[in-house]
Amino acid sequence: MKNTLRVLRAERGWSQADLGERLGVSRQAVNALETEKHDPSLDLAFRIAVLFERPIEAIFENPHHKSV
Amino acid sequence: MAFCPTEASGTAAGRRYTIRTLAFMAGYVAVNVAAIFGAFDDVKAPGSYALALIVAAPVIGQLWATLKLIEESDEFVRALMTKRMILASGLAIAAASAWGFMESYAGAPHLPGWLVYPLFWGFFGVVSPFVRSTR
Repeated sequence: MKNTLRVLRAERGWSQADLGERLGVSRQAVNALETEKHDPSLDLAFRIAVLFERPIEAIFENPHHKSV
Repeated sequence: MAFCPTEASGTAAGRRYTIRTLAFMAGYVAVNVAAIFGAFDDVKAPGSYALALIVAAPVIGQLWATLKLIEESDEFVRALMTKRMILASGLAIAAASAWGFMESYAGAPHLPGWLVYPLFWGFFGVVSPFVRSTR
């Protein structure tokens, strides 16, 4: 799932490990999210949204947006 | 035989898995060394069945450690490990079943059933580089 996590993280000067610690997941999980190898659960997506103070769809591109 | 996936290395769950696996493998080696040196040679059934289960116990323990790694990891490692374990289990079951039928119908030499355990980890190692996404 396309997302702006890498940009948001870089804006704050956080490493993948830093972001992982804030979200309660591993550095590998953050890397997998950024490289689109893992779609987050709804719970993790909400945690990310709270952390960056943005709605989920401002961070993750809704792949179904055009077909809905 | 078993190994920690790179995705879990460095995490607290990965470290616990490594310690648990090393502990169970140490037990496995100790029991087998005792068996090789004849410690169980004079034991007859039903005691021999109990001793065989003692040899199997560290293997069962190591599989428990793997399931705990899945339980204690974050959602990415959990999904990745689960996919890999299902694939490796399926391949190991398929290979063991095929060999069993070859023994029954084609006179293939008998292989001990415990070989399915290293076979499972062999398949786990083979499929892992191809399963790097949870999608």
